[in-house]
Amino acid sequence: MLEYAWIIPVFPLLSFVLLILLRQTVTDKSSYIGIGLSGVSLILSGVVLLAQMSQGNLIKSVSWLSIGNIELTVGYLVNPLNAMMLVLVSLVSFLVHIYSMGYMKEDSRLNVFYAYLGLFTFAMLALVLSPNLLQIYMFWELVGLGSFLLIGFYFYKKEARQAAKKAFIMTRIGDIGLLIGIILLFWQTGSLELTSIFAAVEAGAMEEGMITLIAILIFVGAIGKSGQFPLHSWLPDAMEGPTPVSALIHAATMVAAGVYLVATLFPLYEASETAMLVVATIGAFTAIFAATIALVQKDLKRVLAYSTVSQLGYMMLALGSAGYVAGVFHLMTHAFFKALLFLAAGSVIHAVHTQNIEKMGGLWKKMKWTGPLFLIGALAISGFPLLSGFFSKEEILLAAWGEGHYVLFVLALIAAFLTAFYMFRLFFMVFTSPAKTNNVVKESPKSMTFPMIVLGALAVVAGYLNTPWFGTFLGDWLTAGNGFVEAHHAEGPIWIMLVTILLSLGGIYLAYVIYHKKSLERDFLSSTFPIAYTVMYNRYFVDEFYQMTVGYGARALGYLGVFLEKYIVNVIASLCSEIVQGIGKQGSKLQNGQVQTYGAVVFVGLVIILAVAVMQGGVFQ
Amino acid sequence: MDLDTLLQFEWSLMAPEFTILIVATVLSLLDLFLRKEVNRNHFAWLAMGGIALSFVFLLSQLGHESSMILFDTYRFDPFSISFKFVLLAGTFLVLLLSHSYKEAGEGGYRGEFYYLILIALLGGMMMASSADLITLFVGLEMLAIPSYILAGIQKRSTRSNESAMKYIINGGISTAITLFGFSYIYGLTGSTQLNVIAQNLSNITQSSAEGLAIMAFLITFVGLAFKISTVPFYMWTPDVYEGSPTPVTAFLSVVSKAAGFIIILRVFMSIFGGIAGIRLNETFLESMIIFIGVLASLTMIIGNTIALRQRNMKRLLAYSSIAHAGYLLVPFVALSPMAFESMWFYMIAYMFMTLGAFAVLQVLIRQSESEDLSIFSGLFHRSPGLAILMTIFLLSLAGIPGTAGFIGKLNIFLGALFTEPGNFTLVAIMLIATVISYIYYFGIFIQMFFRHAEFQTRIRLPKSISAVLVICAAGTIILGVLPGTLLDFYHQHIDFNELTGSLWK
Repeated sequence: MLEYAWIIPVFPLLSFVLLILLRQTVTDKSSYIGIGLSGVSLILSGVVLLAQMSQGNLIKSVSWLSIGNIELTVGYLVNPLNAMMLVLVSLVSFLVHIYSMGYMKEDSRLNVFYAYLGLFTFAMLALVLSPNLLQIYMFWELVGLGSFLLIGFYFYKKEARQAAKKAFIMTRIGDIGLLIGIILLFWQTGSLELTSIFAAVEAGAMEEGMITLIAILIFVGAIGKSGQFPLHSWLPDAMEGPTPVSALIHAATMVAAGVYLVATLFPLYEASETAMLVVATIGAFTAIFAATIALVQKDLKRVLAYSTVSQLGYMMLALGSAGYVAGVFHLMTHAFFKALLFLAAGSVIHAVHTQNIEKMGGLWKKMKWTGPLFLIGALAISGFPLLSGFFSKEEILLAAWGEGHYVLFVLALIAAFLTAFYMFRLFFMVFTSPAKTNNVVKESPKSMTFPMIVLGALAVVAGYLNTPWFGTFLGDWLTAGNGFVEAHHAEGPIWIMLVTILLSLGGIYLAYVIYHKKSLERDFLSSTFPIAYTVMYNRYFVDEFYQMTVGYGARALGYLGVFLEKYIVNVIASLCSEIVQGIGKQGSKLQNGQVQTYGAVVFVGLVIILAVAVMQGGVFQ
Repeated sequence: MDLDTLLQFEWSLMAPEFTILIVATVLSLLDLFLRKEVNRNHFAWLAMGGIALSFVFLLSQLGHESSMILFDTYRFDPFSISFKFVLLAGTFLVLLLSHSYKEAGEGGYRGEFYYLILIALLGGMMMASSADLITLFVGLEMLAIPSYILAGIQKRSTRSNESAMKYIINGGISTAITLFGFSYIYGLTGSTQLNVIAQNLSNITQSSAEGLAIMAFLITFVGLAFKISTVPFYMWTPDVYEGSPTPVTAFLSVVSKAAGFIIILRVFMSIFGGIAGIRLNETFLESMIIFIGVLASLTMIIGNTIALRQRNMKRLLAYSSIAHAGYLLVPFVALSPMAFESMWFYMIAYMFMTLGAFAVLQVLIRQSESEDLSIFSGLFHRSPGLAILMTIFLLSLAGIPGTAGFIGKLNIFLGALFTEPGNFTLVAIMLIATVISYIYYFGIFIQMFFRHAEFQTRIRLPKSISAVLVICAAGTIILGVLPGTLLDFYHQHIDFNELTGSLWK
């Protein structure tokens, strides 16, 4: 079966093509096409995963273009990481396809929506199968396109248009770094194949400074895609897209592509301590930075968005602390519980038609499924013992401790506390506080609750793939199947686990006290630290800062550009076109249909050539 | 020469040529003896069968070691074999295109069209294989004379007559100049055989007579420039292309032009490519290549700028083909190790995209009895399929990624930049010229997609035209997406060292 792994991305592509071609005929039925074809992908991904476990890795490539000695290939690679990502992406995508059937039911552009979902799923699946950086880059850009289209899906809303544009531009800034990194790698190793790059790194073919530079440049691409500081601010704005999209693209899969990229190129990063430290630092900083912003936001989806940014920071911290397994493990569990949270949030929004948590309340009794499922997600992300997030977060903290990054370790601990707090702030405000309106609230249809139930189950059990008690099955498999990554499991003192549990429970308890029992005033913190509150509420003024610097700077440049264009470029351009047209005019004047002229041109031409040759003595020195 | 000497030559190597010759002879006899009522259009199938057979024979010669027959005047080497493929495939497609061609008022072709085209093809194949100035010249004329007749094959059309007249006069001038150049070469070296010439010439270029060698080089090039229609010998092209029947235009712009490049490569590489040049540490060809570089640049610029002003589609494609001849000279000027490969690839890509464009043009001209740009107006609404096919061909001609034309241009660019020192000026001019060409190619897109249809009639596609369109579109896209298929074939069968060795001997 492994030989046919390439076929997995073909089905979503087919779905995209079919829906675009048949958009006139299958308006309502488009969801069935999308669901069916993504379901096929899911089944095949499962088969490939099992085949990988029994048969090991497979890499296949064919020569695509050879120029001189350089040979570019296309192909696909199945290793444990890729196989896991395949299942993850196709599973979440499949569930989101089903969920959208209910959520997007009223939308008249349902077919377009499913077509875009197909395009995105295709690109993402193809991305995780890529065996070389050229393919990775191509599909990396293509998932960016899918994300752009879906964020701007409600293009008649100004915010959606602007968010799409912002996402596109900010991720593109990161991509420039990635592209330069890839070009440098190619220049240094002469190949874009991952295997030959790793072999070159292992053989010490590159200087360490160069490795560091390349690794950091590629990490810049990952920063853009995974919404790490300072290129994070597009991700919360991307919540303008439909909620299923937020779950699929901006929580579970595409934003994790940055983490995936660093994980895929892990041997390259391991070769440079500086690069690792940069990754870990940016990750830890983003984790706590975004968590503080999430504390005070009032928009349900935005809180979740900042929480995504924060959790992605955790993953980067893990990778930067040599915790390959920890990072990938958290990537997987996060995909499940964050997709669950988004889908549950979507279900809430679907029911109450607002995203402002101040206007919600009392939904626990009215939404029999959504409430408990959201609770599961919140517990998982908070690191509540025995749920999936608990185990993966534990691994990350151990990795940071084991690597000796004590400052980062403390930051991550604080972020864990904050995570528990803001998640339960959400939970209590949305579900258990008294209802603010008398609107009739109904539970969402089955097509929406079913995917949530699946994800809820996974959010509970996925953690047991890799636990200190029952065995580190996932870690062994991931490292055994990758010849370039060493298996090392960070061991740490037992108190780390206890502290984490305490912090997580403490966060939950604090939220309980403030938002449920109300024994503490809601604003006792914000009134004590008004400045801190304002700063956090305004997201550290990062957007304003960009607006003042990059935004206005770009605008000033724009004015300069307009001026230059008007008075200099335009003059040159019209000069160019005059010249071109002039040559054409003169040339066609010569072309008068008289064969004598043609003969004369030949002879005059020959004479000129010979005259030049004679005068120059045949050569131009 | 007795019978034994004749029989000792390895005649089997000439099987591809013989096949064409026999089919042409049979066709001419059939034409003579068949009753008048028999439709001569069916000759096309016989002719195509002959070409296919010849193709098979040629395939069997792949990997055969280089050898010469007829007292070292006719040689079989990777160079000749690889380029004969282009000639055969091009002629095959032209025949397929001509099968359904009917000009208003005339009852289609007489049978002579088919055997004339085969004789012309035979001439081209001789040019590819010749190792002697005499055989080379015979091949050249054998291609040229049937072409003159073909251009004027519509006896009752004044335009066709005019075009034949102009073609033959210009051809005569070209022959005269070429022979003049050859006579210098012969006078300097006392031989007509290419490798003997090269040996003898190497003494000359070191002596005071080097001026004569320079003359010989330049005059011969200008003479041969007629076939590939580059500056200063390009002016006949639009007039002849416009007046000739469309399949003949296609033949001239693809097969005849390819033959022109073959002869230029053969003559200049083997005579001047291996001998010492004027300055130290370079070959004579390298010393002189700047002249060809300038001519190539002028050709690219003139072809593309004048094309901007054309509204007659055949003239437009004529100028576009002039520009493409300029592109094709770039690898020759750069003289990189990839030169043959990129020229060969580009010729094949050019064959697919140009013949495809001509096929569309032939259908539309027939339909609307006009050659004006406006025949494309609203094509997308009238016949979306045809419009999309034309889009593919035009994108490829313009060199947009995903098409064969892009890969061809990319190869040329890289080849020209990889040499030491890189030919930056030439590449820059080629880039500028390409950008200019976008304007007129995209002008056709505007007509096809954004204008209202002037003609409302439905378009019928004859089967043979559909076949040409499908083959050309498939070729253009496959070579654009998977260029490796063709390049691997080339690398596998054509040994590069042997190729250059055979030319530089």
